[in-house]
Amino acid sequence: MISSVNPTIKAISILVPGIFLSFTFDVFTPLIYLLFVLAITFTLTNISISKWIKIFSPFVLVALGFAWMAALYSNQTYSYGEVHFQLWHFEITTGSIQTGISLALRSLCFVALSLLFALTTDSTKLMLSLMQQCKLPPKITYGILAGYRFLPIFKHELHVLRQAHRIRGVSRTRGIKGQINQFRRYSIPLLANGIRKAERVAIAMESKGFTGDKERTHYHDLTVSKKDWYFLTMIVGTFIAVVAISYYLGYLNIFGRKF
Amino acid sequence: MVNQWKLKEIVLMSILGVVFGVIYLAFFLVGQGIRNILVPFGLGPLGYEVIFGIWFIVSIIAAYILRKPGVAFTAEVIAGVVEVLLGSAAGPGLILAAAIQGLGAEFAFAITKWRDYRLRILILSGIFAALFSFVWNLYSSGNIALAPSLLIAMLITRIVSGALLAGVLGKWISDQLAKTGVLRGYKLGKELQRRREKGAA
Repeated sequence: MISSVNPTIKAISILVPGIFLSFTFDVFTPLIYLLFVLAITFTLTNISISKWIKIFSPFVLVALGFAWMAALYSNQTYSYGEVHFQLWHFEITTGSIQTGISLALRSLCFVALSLLFALTTDSTKLMLSLMQQCKLPPKITYGILAGYRFLPIFKHELHVLRQAHRIRGVSRTRGIKGQINQFRRYSIPLLANGIRKAERVAIAMESKGFTGDKERTHYHDLTVSKKDWYFLTMIVGTFIAVVAISYYLGYLNIFGRKF
Repeated sequence: MVNQWKLKEIVLMSILGVVFGVIYLAFFLVGQGIRNILVPFGLGPLGYEVIFGIWFIVSIIAAYILRKPGVAFTAEVIAGVVEVLLGSAAGPGLILAAAIQGLGAEFAFAITKWRDYRLRILILSGIFAALFSFVWNLYSSGNIALAPSLLIAMLITRIVSGALLAGVLGKWISDQLAKTGVLRGYKLGKELQRRREKGAA
């Protein structure tokens, strides 16, 4: 199961294809890799499909918008092939359509990879792993965790603020000026309270003996095992294999150059 | 670098990251709204360029309040990490993008050797964050395939957005916060107090 893979190794595995996928501009490579990511998302994790679709679907629209823009506005290097049709003064060619679809599929790959990470990773474990495997200073990691824990309190505070405004008869205002006023009325008190809490929590941590020393013990010891390397090999290996197949079949296109 | 920072400063960056992590996600929706209007012209993604500056604001606020080397960069990375922790659709790639934006923002402060925090430097910081992120998007989102005229329009929109939404708005929010008195323990609050005492004397 992917949820038990070491978070740092998981992040690296997902980052590598995410970075190198940006070299390709053909349809085949990102499409096959996207299918692979979807396959492992639905076989090796227990993410519920409906939840996944709910998060993923808005990005399909974003990707389509980007594909449409890229198809209309692709530059000379990427608008090869014959002209299919004209729209206003835009010429839509084979190349520009392919580039557009490729970019859309690429961004969907990023989203699918990110979801694979975000929906299977526990936030505390991620921070602990960043501290133990990446050697990030405990001051930073515990500082982040302390701040992150305030999120539910912020929700509560926003609620209180809203009620306080209502009871004093400050109603919702219309128009751009009203919106700006409203933004200030909510954001400044929220941030001010947050800063007060930051100070208090930091003093509390230090008074209880948190020094930020790197030589410390951990309640949860996160280790890197063979399974983590298998996962890395699978994610990165498949990416290399997909690029190789795409090269072999003659689809591979890197920065507009066919191979 | 980290040893120079107090724990309360790091928690402050993290809290800013939490608040703006949520705001960043909200602005993603605003961007979608603007995009829907522009989509028929094939200019949809330009909708995000208009509001792109908001994604740099944490760097400017944190650097302006704390005034130490590395703060602009670290605050942006922390905001990225928090966004990942929030469990949205953000993955490790977002932390990388945040790091590049943070480097851009830090660059402007590095030029002045972390001594000058006037409005013009904050605006410059927003502009550099826009430039750095633009170059990264040329590669990562494949923007390099777009026509030069569109790219120039995108770059200008993003720079203006970075200057206004990150530089000017960031300073305004920080100044408003300093007025409430909660920043008394930090560099910006101390400076405000000194100025007030001077005015009173």
